[in-house]
Amino acid sequence: MTFKEAVEQTPSLESSWRDGLGALRAEDKPHIKAEDTRRLCGSADVDGALQPSDPSANRWDFAIGHQHTNRKDVFIYWVETHTGSDNQIKVVLKKLDWLKAWLRRDGQRLDKFDRDMIWVSSGHTLFTKGSAQVKTLAQKGLIYSGATLRIPNKRRL
Amino acid sequence: MRGQVQGELSRYGLDWSGQLADFLDVYLGEGMRAVWRPGQSSIEWEGKAVDLPQLAARKRKIKHESLFFIPAQRVLALRDGWPRPFTDYTPGDPFAVREYSEKLRVLVEQEFGAAGDLFPRERRLKSEFRDLLQKNVFSNFHLRVDKVRSQKRLVLGPGGAVGNIPYMVWSAGQREFVPLLLGFYWLMPPTKISTRAEIEWVVLEELEMGLHPRAISVVVLLVLELVARGYRVCLSTHSPQVLDAIWALKHLRENHASPQALLKIFEAPNTPPMQRLATSAMQKTVKVYYFNRETGVTADISNLDPSAEGQAEAGWGGLSEFSGRANEAVARAVANVDREGQQ
Repeated sequence: MTFKEAVEQTPSLESSWRDGLGALRAEDKPHIKAEDTRRLCGSADVDGALQPSDPSANRWDFAIGHQHTNRKDVFIYWVETHTGSDNQIKVVLKKLDWLKAWLRRDGQRLDKFDRDMIWVSSGHTLFTKGSAQVKTLAQKGLIYSGATLRIPNKRRL
Repeated sequence: MRGQVQGELSRYGLDWSGQLADFLDVYLGEGMRAVWRPGQSSIEWEGKAVDLPQLAARKRKIKHESLFFIPAQRVLALRDGWPRPFTDYTPGDPFAVREYSEKLRVLVEQEFGAAGDLFPRERRLKSEFRDLLQKNVFSNFHLRVDKVRSQKRLVLGPGGAVGNIPYMVWSAGQREFVPLLLGFYWLMPPTKISTRAEIEWVVLEELEMGLHPRAISVVVLLVLELVARGYRVCLSTHSPQVLDAIWALKHLRENHASPQALLKIFEAPNTPPMQRLATSAMQKTVKVYYFNRETGVTADISNLDPSAEGQAEAGWGGLSEFSGRANEAVARAVANVDREGQQ
C-alpha cells in the first residue's frame, strides 16, 4: 500500500493527502528540508483534518511520506512543529499520546509504516543534544530535531 | 614568542644552534620537528607572515612571558608529590611541561615551603571556591606539606596531622587537580593586585582531564574567575560539559538573565562576590572553534546551535554527536515497538 492510499483509507483523512509538502502550513514548510524533494511521497495535515471531530484534543500536526534510497518501503515522518522549551514538554508528550492512540484506533493503515516521531522547534532551539529533556523525550519515542528536520535520501539507521 | 622561551632554554643549557628543526624538538618535544615542512608550512599572525626560522634563531632575551601555559601533561609536574624542577626532565620533554613544573616548584618552595595547609588556605581563592572544591574534589581532606626524612612532599589528610595520604594513593582526579590548583594559585596571588601583571593570556589544555563532572563544573567556574580578573583565557577541551557551560552563558546573556541564573548552573552560592564574578563573566566575549582533524581547517562554531546547517556546529565539533545518535536510536526503537504489524 502506498502512503497516499493509506491516507485516503484513514477515517477523517480521506481528502487530506497533498503532493510533496503541500499539506503543511506555510510557516511550517521552512522547517522541513528534504535532500531530494522528488523522493517525498506526499503529506497529510492531521491536525486540520481531525479538528472538526476532535476539537479539544492535543492533536498531532502532520505526516510526511518519504521513499529512502536504501529502504524498500515508504517511511513516515510524523512531525509536530512546536515551541522548543521546557514548559512545552508536557504539551507535546500529550500530543504524542494522542497520536499513538489515534494510530491504534483509526490510523491502523498508517500505523503499519516504519516511522519517526519528531518534534521540530518552531522557534529557537533550547535543548542541547545531550540534555536530560531530549533523553526524556527519546524514552517516549520522540526525536527532538531542533529547528529543522533534514530528510536525507539514505537513512542512517 | 618574544625571546623568553629561547632565554629559558639557553639558561638551562639547551643549544639548538639556531636550527629550527632542533628548536622544535626542544620546544615542542622530541620528534616534533616533523610538524614544520619547509616550503609547505606557514604561520600568520594578524594577517602577516611570521618568519619562524628567524624567530627560533633569536637570541634576544626577554625576562617575562605574557602567556601562562597550563599543559595537558600537568600531572607529570609532580613526582612523589613534589613539583619537579626544569632540569629533572630530559631534553626531549616538551618545554611547556618543564616550564610549568618549574613554576609550580618555585611557587610551592617560596610561598608554601613551611608547614601548613596549601588547601584550604585563607586568602587563596574565594571562600566560595574553597567550599566547592572541598565538597567536589577533596572530600574535606586538606592538602599540606609533609616531611619524610627531610624530604618534603604534598599529602592529603584530614584536619589533624595524622592519617596523611601520599601522592601515589590519591585518586586520579586529585592527582590531576592538584597541579591545576597550583596553577590557579600562581595566577591569583593573594595580594591587592589580583593578577600577575605581566600575564595577558592563560592557555589551559583539557581542563576536564581525570575529573568528575562536579569537579569540572568548579574548574569552569574558576576559569570564569580568571576571565573576571582580566585574563584572556584560551581553553582546549574534549568535554561536552564545558561546551554546555559556554552554550548556557551565551543564551543567558542573550536573554538578559540574572547572574544568579549562571551561578545556579554551577551550584555556586549566590553571594555578592560570586554575583560580581557572574556579572563580569556574562559581559565577556566567548568564541568557540573546532579543529577538523581530517581537513586541518578550523571552523568558528561559536553559536553552538544544535540545529545548525553544518554538522561541525550542530554536533559541537563531534562532542555531542554520540548523545544525539543515542537519543535518536532509543526514540526510534520506542516509536516503532508497538506499532500495528510490527514483527
